[in-house]
Amino acid sequence: MRRIFIGAGLIALGVIANAQAAEEWGIDFEKKARVEAKVVDMACELTGNCPDNCGNGKRQLGLLMDDGRLVPVIKNFDIFAGATNDLIKHCNKRIVADGLMISNPKMPMFALQFSKPAEGGKWSRANQFGKDWSKANGGKNSGQWFRTDPVVARIIKKDGVFGIPGLKAKSE
Amino acid sequence: MDRRRLSLGLIATLTMGFTGTLGFAGAKAAVNKAAAPKRVQVTGEIIDTWCYVTEIMFAQGTAHHQCAVWCALGGIPVSVLGKDGKVYMVLRVEGDDTSVANPKLITIQTSEVTVDGDLYVRDGVNYLMVNKIADNKGIVNLTQDEYGIQPFGK
Ligand SMILES: [Cu+2]
Repeated sequence: MRRIFIGAGLIALGVIANAQAAEEWGIDFEKKARVEAKVVDMACELTGNCPDNCGNGKRQLGLLMDDGRLVPVIKNFDIFAGATNDLIKHCNKRIVADGLMISNPKMPMFALQFSKPAEGGKWSRANQFGKDWSKANGGKNSGQWFRTDPVVARIIKKDGVFGIPGLKAKSE
Repeated sequence: MDRRRLSLGLIATLTMGFTGTLGFAGAKAAVNKAAAPKRVQVTGEIIDTWCYVTEIMFAQGTAHHQCAVWCALGGIPVSVLGKDGKVYMVLRVEGDDTSVANPKLITIQTSEVTVDGDLYVRDGVNYLMVNKIADNKGIVNLTQDEYGIQPFGK
């Protein structure tokens, strides 16, 4: 009985330990990838114009690979959101990034699903945008953030869903 | 086998050490730090990079406008889809070098613009520092009749 218990515990631990393993999203050119790389402010890396702390979350971040390749990280685990909020705490530090390397010839890029400091530490799920949004919006669930976001609402109210006030689709 | 590979590597390193240290260092720097930018003018549509590149939905014109606003607000990079078919990720717009949920970019989603900028091409990505939006024709790519509202409809 006790042995079964321990066994079940180990399986549960295993599930938790593997919970950060990247999942496929069915996107062309995607490949599950776990890479160690340095988080960089891409504009800084390209132009040498480098504000403090990688732009404090207001600049797009990328992964600088050991072979010198720069890969933009353009997506996190939240729907319709990027990964800057997940990566900013790792500015100019090495991380282990787990997610999808999307080697699309139009633009190679990385979709971040989990990350942890390269020196060790816990994996964190790349859903910081949602957490931050929720905090900024009175604790509201961020699962459908785009439906209730006040800035979205303001823009769509002004310009319409198609971006042109009053424009309608034929089928409407 | 390993030893042979090692010694070949050693010979290569030594040879370069004697003949091409400067050249090699120069080439490496060019790889790691992008070469000097190219002054360019790009005409095209402001798009959401993720939806367009991955083709997870139809991501051009009015049909995708709302989603493009969502994604830009969500902090996904905004790009110009050039008439040349290339995707140019915008990292600066007219002296403002913020590129995450930048209101200047969100409010011109889906518009057809002509921009003057500095282009950095690195590892297969076109990074564009926009110095000036030379022209903005507004939204001209009407795709809503064919595609409705992407991605969820109403
Ligand atoms: Cu979209």
